[in-house]
Amino acid sequence: MKLRKKLLAAMLSAGILFTGCGGDNAGGGTSKGGDPNVLKVGVTNFADTLEPTQNYFGWVVMRYGLGECLTKFDEKMNIQPWLAENWSVSDDRLTWTFKIRDNVKFSNGDALTADAVKQSIERAFAKNTRAATFFEYSSITADGQNLIIQTKKPLPGMPGYLADPLFIIVDVAAENGRDFSKEGPICTGPYTVESFVKERAVMKRNENYWAGEVPYQTVEIPSIDDPNTRAMALQAGDVDVAVNIAAGDIDIFKNNDKFHIDEISSLRVVLARLNQNPDHILSDAKVRAALIAGCDRETYNDVLLKGTFIPGKAPVPPSLDYGFAQLTDPNAYNPERAKQLLTEAGWTDSNNDGILDKDGRNLTLDFVVYNSRAELPLYAEAVQADLKKLGFDIKINTVDYNLIDNMGIKGEYDLLISNITTANTGDPEIFLSWYWKTNVDGNNPQNGSGYSNPEYDAKLEQLSMEFDKDARRNLIIELQQILLNDGAALFFGYPQTNIINAKYVDGVKMYPSDYYWITNLIKPAK
Amino acid sequence: MEFIKTHKLFSFYTLLVILILFVAIFAPYLAPQDPYESNMRNVLQTPSAEHLLGTDKLGRDTLSRIIAGTQVSLFMTICLVILLAIVGIVVGIASGYFGGKVEMVLMRLADMMLSFPGVVLAIAIAGILGGSIANTIIALLIVGWAKYARLVRSLVIKLRNNDFIIAAQVNGTKTINILRRHILPNVLPMIVITGAMDIGTMMMEIAGLSFLGFGAQPPTPEWGLMLNEGRQYIQTAPWLMIYPGAAIFIVVAIFNLWGDALRDVLDPRQE
Repeated sequence: MKLRKKLLAAMLSAGILFTGCGGDNAGGGTSKGGDPNVLKVGVTNFADTLEPTQNYFGWVVMRYGLGECLTKFDEKMNIQPWLAENWSVSDDRLTWTFKIRDNVKFSNGDALTADAVKQSIERAFAKNTRAATFFEYSSITADGQNLIIQTKKPLPGMPGYLADPLFIIVDVAAENGRDFSKEGPICTGPYTVESFVKERAVMKRNENYWAGEVPYQTVEIPSIDDPNTRAMALQAGDVDVAVNIAAGDIDIFKNNDKFHIDEISSLRVVLARLNQNPDHILSDAKVRAALIAGCDRETYNDVLLKGTFIPGKAPVPPSLDYGFAQLTDPNAYNPERAKQLLTEAGWTDSNNDGILDKDGRNLTLDFVVYNSRAELPLYAEAVQADLKKLGFDIKINTVDYNLIDNMGIKGEYDLLISNITTANTGDPEIFLSWYWKTNVDGNNPQNGSGYSNPEYDAKLEQLSMEFDKDARRNLIIELQQILLNDGAALFFGYPQTNIINAKYVDGVKMYPSDYYWITNLIKPAK
Repeated sequence: MEFIKTHKLFSFYTLLVILILFVAIFAPYLAPQDPYESNMRNVLQTPSAEHLLGTDKLGRDTLSRIIAGTQVSLFMTICLVILLAIVGIVVGIASGYFGGKVEMVLMRLADMMLSFPGVVLAIAIAGILGGSIANTIIALLIVGWAKYARLVRSLVIKLRNNDFIIAAQVNGTKTINILRRHILPNVLPMIVITGAMDIGTMMMEIAGLSFLGFGAQPPTPEWGLMLNEGRQYIQTAPWLMIYPGAAIFIVVAIFNLWGDALRDVLDPRQE
């Protein structure tokens, strides 16, 4: 009797397990792999809404094939026409004229006019203060299909600024009766929003798309934040395309002829911001130099990350031609020098606990990290291990990605890891300005580190008005060298970035700018 | 000797527990290498003669980290269980013996705690407090005390009206002495059994929180954390998950079996 009961119980519980699995499969809905009407893309999504002017959410609007800008970057980061057919600048370099294509329609069927573009750009300025950190205008006017932007000072980067996803062109007129943040904006891209939550978006074909055929009826975009799970979803056929497969997993796909990998050098840099505000230990330049010199960055990138990252040195990666080779890093890996610098700065281990101290204060630093990118915790732990040998006590504080931006602005860290694109407008000007230009009363909010160097600010000002390409390049090289000399930040490395697809999908491509993931070029393979 | 003969299983499990305790206490001497020493030129090595269980993502010896982890995990678990028992005894005796408003307030609090799903609440608390070993223990303590308090209270209520307690009261014994001399010794065996049987569960919960990033922080060699670190390499370096997982499995299983056997030995109702 007892045995029978046990058997029954076992069978019941097994039954429950099986029905559980069955339910999951049924919930997945569509068949696995190669459905010519449905594309499934595994991504990491940080956006809570699809409001392009909120935070950096515009990136997601663009990556999901929803929004488009006036201009775009090609695979070599050259600026190409997109919604604007062509553009020109007046002789005094203060008036830009963008000719808007006249065959473009918003997904609701409304024609794209210069006036709609004007309203959209004004909306971005009204809703996000970041817009003004790109450029300030004295007037925007619409004349038929011509958009005329007048600026107070010459702005050589204008076409590049307008390629930033913050300036995605939305149909402002459609905002009446539609909540962009919940239902998604009306844009001009190949796909439109059917449903969106942070974890999962479903896009459907934009029947009014202007630039050719849109291959898929539906695009499902699950956000799979864990890199490992994303790789497995691709292996299992749960997604057809996956973005950013981590170093630990990429070999699985390299040795498999069912998958195609598009791997490129990105424009990104992984860096640790160093908090130099008064009272912070790292306000001492010698400690910063010691910290940087104590990190064996070549090993981190070549060995720990298996060469999927290029070892870091300067702010701008070598994939962009801004003098990477000629820049010299005074704080290249040299643990002996690091030790000496710490001694010079007055740090000693007076109580023999293995941690240096000075005036009763331990050399303890708070390292803020998020882990939706697989390499970040790895860098942090490697730094922790390396610096421990010098007597640093690094406390790793793992937080949610959404907290990072604010913590960076408020300076709530000693070290804060970031994976940043260095050329979101085509060249590194904005990047170099955002993170290191002197922040006076919050007028440059991204620089929460307290870094300030008048010489640097002066050169930035010069750069912002320089039209000549070679002169710009030289200025950017000089700016980088200043940052290196000051030990302004710890530049870990430059990621290769990848997008991997099953071979029954074609046209998947990773762009250095990282803005364009889902395009109408992705289609079922023949 | 007679004891060992009559309680063969218990003795065997006790031996295993002692073995684990031995490993935990002497971990620094038993570990073949420094569990914190990273050799970044030597990462993700497959198990070999030099590194019996391979190396992890920073080139640290996995075997050494597992051995060091015994100390961390066991220390945390035992701290937690002892704290649970102390809080449970204090609250339980107070509410069981004195009754009235004290009981009402304490037991309604306990009801509240019991009505939350335990692990979820622990994750929330640990999340708010921030990840660290101490905070993990606090979180699980907040979640777990109610069960012990309830148990002690019911035992005390049963004892309170016994003749020997009333006799002590009539004799004018101070309340504190009644609690200490008469109540506590009668409550203790049950608490010891419950605590012993909970060691395995608590160890799992601690490892679980660490796995989720709410417990021990790197570079601490904690098993749950090691599992989490190994997770990224599950396909390319599976030993990083298998061995810490096996360590948790073995130790938890031994403590559960030991707890069961201890109950059989101590619990008077079984006789």
